[in-house]
Amino acid sequence: MRDGAWLCLFAPLVGTVVILLGGTRISRRAAGWISIASVFAAFGGAIWAFFALRASNDRAGITYTAWTWLQSGTFKVGLSVLVDPLSTMMMLIVAGVGGLIVLYSIGYMDGDDEERRYFAYMSLFVFSMLLLVQGGNLLILLGGWGLVGLSSYLLIGFWHDRPSAVAAAKKAFIMNAVGDATMALAFFVLIFHGHSLDFGTSFATAGQLSPTAVNLVALGLLGGAAAKSAQIPLHTWLPDAMEGPTPVSALIHAATMVTAGVYLIARTHPIFEQARTVELIAAGMGALTLLVAGLIALVQTDIKRVIAYSTMSQIGYMFLGAGVGAYANGMFHLMTHAFFKALLFMAAGLVIHALSGEQDIRKMRGIGALMPWTKWAFLAGSLALVGVPPFAGFFSKDAIIAAALHDHWYGVVLAGAGLVGAFLTGVYTFRLYFLVFPGEPSAFVREHHHAHHGQEGPPTMLVPVGVLAVLAVIGGWLQFSPFWHPLTTWLAPVVQTLGVAEPTNTQEAIASVLAVLLGLAGIGVAYALYGRGEASLAVPRLPVVQQALEHKLYFDEAYDALFYRPVAAFASWLRRDFEEPVILATGPDLGEGALELGQGASRLQTGLLRTYVLFLGTGVAIVGIVFLAVR
Amino acid sequence: MQGPGIAWYLGISAFLFGTGALGVLLRRNPIIVLLSLEIMLNGGNLALIAFARHAGNGAGQIFALAVMAVAASEVCVGLGLVVAINRRRLALDVDKLSELRG
Amino acid sequence: MILASAGNILVWIVWVGAGFACLASGVAVVSFRNPFYSALALIGNLGSLAVLYLLLSAEFVAAAQVLVYAGAVMVMFLFVIAYVGPRTETPWAGGPNWQSIAAVLAAGSIFLEIIVAVALNAGGRLSHTDHVNATFGTPGWIGRLFLTDHLLAFEITSIVLLIAAVGGVILGSHTKRAA
Repeated sequence: MRDGAWLCLFAPLVGTVVILLGGTRISRRAAGWISIASVFAAFGGAIWAFFALRASNDRAGITYTAWTWLQSGTFKVGLSVLVDPLSTMMMLIVAGVGGLIVLYSIGYMDGDDEERRYFAYMSLFVFSMLLLVQGGNLLILLGGWGLVGLSSYLLIGFWHDRPSAVAAAKKAFIMNAVGDATMALAFFVLIFHGHSLDFGTSFATAGQLSPTAVNLVALGLLGGAAAKSAQIPLHTWLPDAMEGPTPVSALIHAATMVTAGVYLIARTHPIFEQARTVELIAAGMGALTLLVAGLIALVQTDIKRVIAYSTMSQIGYMFLGAGVGAYANGMFHLMTHAFFKALLFMAAGLVIHALSGEQDIRKMRGIGALMPWTKWAFLAGSLALVGVPPFAGFFSKDAIIAAALHDHWYGVVLAGAGLVGAFLTGVYTFRLYFLVFPGEPSAFVREHHHAHHGQEGPPTMLVPVGVLAVLAVIGGWLQFSPFWHPLTTWLAPVVQTLGVAEPTNTQEAIASVLAVLLGLAGIGVAYALYGRGEASLAVPRLPVVQQALEHKLYFDEAYDALFYRPVAAFASWLRRDFEEPVILATGPDLGEGALELGQGASRLQTGLLRTYVLFLGTGVAIVGIVFLAVR
Repeated sequence: MQGPGIAWYLGISAFLFGTGALGVLLRRNPIIVLLSLEIMLNGGNLALIAFARHAGNGAGQIFALAVMAVAASEVCVGLGLVVAINRRRLALDVDKLSELRG
Repeated sequence: MILASAGNILVWIVWVGAGFACLASGVAVVSFRNPFYSALALIGNLGSLAVLYLLLSAEFVAAAQVLVYAGAVMVMFLFVIAYVGPRTETPWAGGPNWQSIAAVLAAGSIFLEIIVAVALNAGGRLSHTDHVNATFGTPGWIGRLFLTDHLLAFEITSIVLLIAAVGGVILGSHTKRAA
């Protein structure tokens, strides 16, 4: 178990180091395969740890500490990894889906000038993410958290000669840094009161804190989770992050990194349970995000941005589930979402690849006729996303809505938001599908489509898509509440679902039926609007609403006015009224003064030996007087 | 101990030190400056030996011997400088050797 | 008793003689116009100091004073003075007047401070003197101290002397660049 965990953690790091040190001595292709080997080695380690944990009696998890990393008085932090049901589940998802996506990258990035750098970053990202989920204490978790932010910055800005990519990378990094800072503040409170960042000690500490302090800690953690998972109000970086290569979008912005917030809430749930209000804020935040993101997705015209907003919306579901206390359901949705959202991104990547980088869905009409397999894979992913049985999303999403339904009046409100979200999901997903795949290929498609050796893509791209398509269909069969729930049982030693989030069978049934019906209704609406090939794009025909949605509800503009403009104005005021009259004016005066002082002092340097001795003698005489005076 | 007490020796020592200091401060011939320095050092030595006798401890005498060795070193270097100055036909006057003026 | 007090008077007489010689020769060193006479006065100063050292039961230091200082070092001085030859010099060198006044003030105040410090203690701590046995200040006793308690100081002093000797040779030797 221990060896598996360490193998899983460090294999991708070794891959990164080898690629970076190898430099141009290894071929681009070799760099890619080194990266794949390292990530699959990590997957092997994860499987090893999983089976070892299954076989062992100690399901609550074991922490392995390699060495004491830093120590200050009684505060001590070790480089430790934790192997428990929650972390092994995340290890399997991260390394497994990550491996498939890196494999896909081989085909997608073929011919790029800087493939080696790309694969080094990919391995680094997987390492960071594994450090995050395996970290045996909160500081290691924060270290992984920061490294994930760094590697996502590097990957979003991978095409660094595009100004928009660089801007998007900076935006993502800064937004994430806000979350990192709030998390660090929460940790300081924990260190101050408990002198430890170990999970167990910290959770015990949280139980003894005053309500204010524990609310602060929980809010800090929630800030970090919201920034990383792109929840309102820290969500604006995710759509822009689509400037990165498509596999990066699949890996970071769908399958792994953005779900870290859900993992964090599940991991630190004892703290959140002490601050139930903050936990419900998380649920409300999720509900709001899933609605807003669903609405904005209705009008986007970039294929990846539609999927990105869909990702935000689905993570909103996970926050909703984790917030009401149904941690296992949130984690279950995290897993199925990793499958079908990575599938959607990679299928979209196939289309983009075939059309030489075109991402505008208005030009793609009818591509399905030329790429039938991609079409079927995308359809499977779409159905899973909407939650049509028996696809994966049905099992996980409906369980979240049902769990919310049980929890007081606000639970009903949250569940209602989830149901509306299900309808919106149906509309925007199939708007995308109907606009892109069916029908006669458009002129643009005919002109620009080029097949890859008569296929829809190189085998390295088709295999991961196929595997994920299968998983998107069957991945949800793992758990069907209330009939069988192995995942909840598996996670129970670490994260116990709260009593208020245990729905009755009736509630389960109501939630499932309503969600499926609303999802199907959404598909119907989408078909009615877009299925016949009309070019109209927006669902709301009201120009005001449409414009608001196309501007993403003016979040960017609001942040611009709220944070950027005042600071920029303040800075220019400082420059005009302080820098120029004060600093720039006094600079030369200071210089001249120092020069004159130096010239005056240099006259003491007479070069005459006797003057120096005189100074010396006078000094001795004065010191002697002082000694005599103070004796 | 017969004869005058330690304080009298220290008085002679202080006078020697002051006289030597005056010579160093006022004379311009480097050789005389060196000789005056010797006077100062000897004043210090006398105090050291007087204190050694006062305390009945050998450390003062050891120190005085070390001072002698240092004085010999200093004379060695100082006279080397005098010889070097003389060889360059420079004036033997510390007031005229002021190339290091700031 | 009479014998002891006679010895005491004898010591006083010797002290007064040596001390006066010491002060006079010190003033002479500083004030003679000719460095040659200054050097000769310094020899007298050193000799009278050696007498004072003997009165303080520092036999080895007194011998070393005469041999090393009055013998070796002063020979070197006289040699250099002869080598440099007679040079005209105004004894109380000029320079700015304020400097001479300040020099007298500084030296005088140092002297006065020491006298005041000694006088303040003369009736107290300085009035009592330890009894010492016959070996105090003998060469054997000094040698043992040098090779036991003060070995490090001894070695370091020897290195300082060596370095100074090498430096003196380099300073005094001819070099092509010198001209």
